[in-house]
Amino acid sequence: MSSPGRLRRAGRGALIPLITVVLAFIAGGLVVLFTGHDPFRTYGAIFDGTGLNYLFPWVGGNTRTIAGFDLQQTLLNAAPLILTGLSVAFAFRVGLFNIGSQGQYTVGAVMAVWIGSIFPNMEPVLHIVLAIAAAAVMGAVWAAVAGWLRAVVGTHEVISTIMLNWIAIWVANYLFQAGGPLQSRSQAGNPVSNTIVSNAHLPVIWGNPLLQGLDAGIFISLAAAVAFWALMNRSTLGYEIRAVGHSPDAARAAGISIARSYVTTMAICGVFAGLAAAVDVLGWEFQLSTGDIATSQVGFLGIAVALLGRNTAIGTVFAALLFGALETGTSVRALNSNVFNPELASQLTLIIEGLVVLLVSTDLIAVRLLGLPAKLGWGRPEQTTEGQPPGAADEAAPDPTEALRPEPSL
Amino acid sequence: MKVLMKLSGIAVVIAALTVAVFGAGTGSAKMKATKASSFKLGVVTDIGGLNDHGFNHLAYLGLKEAEKQLHIQGEVIPTSSASDYVANLTTAAQHGDNLVVAVGFDFATPLVTVAQAFPNTKFAIIDYDASTILNPKTKKPFKNIEGLDFLSQQSGYLVGYLSGLISKAKHYTTISSVGGQKIPSVDSYIAGYQAGGKAADPKLKFLNAYSNDFADQAKCETIANNQIAQGSKIVFQVAGGCGLGALQAAKQKHAWGIGVDADQGYLGNYVLTSALKKVDVAVVQATRDLMHGKFYGGGNIINSVKTGGAGYGRLNSVAKPYAAQLQKVLGEIKSGKIKNIPTKVK
Repeated sequence: MSSPGRLRRAGRGALIPLITVVLAFIAGGLVVLFTGHDPFRTYGAIFDGTGLNYLFPWVGGNTRTIAGFDLQQTLLNAAPLILTGLSVAFAFRVGLFNIGSQGQYTVGAVMAVWIGSIFPNMEPVLHIVLAIAAAAVMGAVWAAVAGWLRAVVGTHEVISTIMLNWIAIWVANYLFQAGGPLQSRSQAGNPVSNTIVSNAHLPVIWGNPLLQGLDAGIFISLAAAVAFWALMNRSTLGYEIRAVGHSPDAARAAGISIARSYVTTMAICGVFAGLAAAVDVLGWEFQLSTGDIATSQVGFLGIAVALLGRNTAIGTVFAALLFGALETGTSVRALNSNVFNPELASQLTLIIEGLVVLLVSTDLIAVRLLGLPAKLGWGRPEQTTEGQPPGAADEAAPDPTEALRPEPSL
Repeated sequence: MKVLMKLSGIAVVIAALTVAVFGAGTGSAKMKATKASSFKLGVVTDIGGLNDHGFNHLAYLGLKEAEKQLHIQGEVIPTSSASDYVANLTTAAQHGDNLVVAVGFDFATPLVTVAQAFPNTKFAIIDYDASTILNPKTKKPFKNIEGLDFLSQQSGYLVGYLSGLISKAKHYTTISSVGGQKIPSVDSYIAGYQAGGKAADPKLKFLNAYSNDFADQAKCETIANNQIAQGSKIVFQVAGGCGLGALQAAKQKHAWGIGVDADQGYLGNYVLTSALKKVDVAVVQATRDLMHGKFYGGGNIINSVKTGGAGYGRLNSVAKPYAAQLQKVLGEIKSGKIKNIPTKVK
């Protein structure tokens, strides 16, 4: 395929998500207007709150310091979202819906904090690698259970991953509660883990290491996105996954093991989610309390990120950056309280995020059920489906009827 | 731009205060108020949010009260996820807040790094022993962190004693408590409750369970319903927002409820009283102390019945007749006649 053709397709692929985001922002702006605030000033303040004004050379002095700090927080928020987004997107490509990203993240976080805190004098690089590997493996095992159940007994992964989420939360709760096996030795009675040793901290690449500066975890996220792309588009496994996602029956006829594809795919999803946990725990969190575990949303946000990112690596990265920026920009801390009431600001995040998900799904309805773009002569945005029949990219989103049919064991 | 707007905001506040005071009258009062208004207080809440009807809410009330009484500038920064802990404390310190109050034990570890980065900012942590937060460099407690501790067992003892008196009079055999989580700040209430109940009625039986949640009312409602089914006639909630569900169960099953932290008597006559933890009083007190140059860095301000930081709330019609007896016990706790109230639940 010639590269201009590919570019054109990529442009078309980006068009609909962009429209979605713009529509969500317009709708959010109407809500702001409805509350009696100026939408333009509010969005301006949110923009400043994300720290993106750091990129303007004319911003200086104390404003620049604060902008730098805010931008570090934006990227810090985006790093795990990229990974949980990839974790959901990867499953979508084989036709599975991984709602279990949150649980895989949780077990990964438990492993990272455990390994990170038990070896006081290990070599830093070795310690970091070990903790990351442990988190990734644990996430993979957790997710593979759901893949295996789907492949062998036909248990729907939506059900099993939701159940596994709760199991993960309650196991973590047990481990860190007062008197639990992994509860902190230094904090009498409080339900928190030990803090990880400084040797296991990811190096801070920008900002003050004492004040949650940006750590090297963002590189892990970006590397994972590249790996996602390579795996999906440049490997036999990726070809098989896409084939199963497109049509399980055809894939089976071609000699691809559906069961193996499901288990492998879910395990890889779990790796991404586990990495997200490692990036958080080793990068800035250093400790888990049972409250943190119960209130974490990063895995669930990954679903929205994957949807907006069209289940592609590059799309997920940009969607995660958008969501990370929104989280920071509308936080009460960063949003100028003179412009927009802080109590309302965090609701605005939810509104915009919710609208994005809603509009992305309406887009899918329009595309899949009504075939609108074809009627309008747009053509469907092809992403990464060279050598596949036209329309294969539609399978980026799971076919709900397909997903509900249990696979016979092979 | 942002800072400019913020500065202009502050200028407006100062101007408004000055005008208000000027309007009120004398020159000396004006001097005093203008001087005080340069003091900035920041409150960083935990994930529970401002509307938890308890802990965070009380800290926020304390801030409002401090603004009113001491003419300071206050800002509140709610926390919505774990990544906000360090960031919110940092922002408060960057804003130049003289005192930053962190609500709850989740801030103990984040404070270690933030207190190092801002050695000139004073921090206070609620419900946590500041002498156990050590600077990793010196291995000593921080000079710029103080703890605002509460002897909740005293509040628990008082409401437990009341429950014992009522049980004795009405021939109740069993009373119960619903904890949000097995943590020291919850268990000290419950241990005091059981000790107080025993003191008033030695034959009384106690049920206790934890919801492992401070937000979801349904969980606490289920637990309380189970306890009432097992014969409990009085349910003491020690679970923040979740515990409101326990009170709801008491209401529906015609048992009595006891509120926690804030005075929850407003919920209705089925609430006998509430065990108070006056976080608002503690915040105002810590602010006033620091304005007068007093700060207990590396140590704690202990809030108790004696300091007015602990106690019981409004009594309903059933509890009212026992007001005198309760006052007597309160006096005995104050004078030290009743001491060594347990803090651990067996």
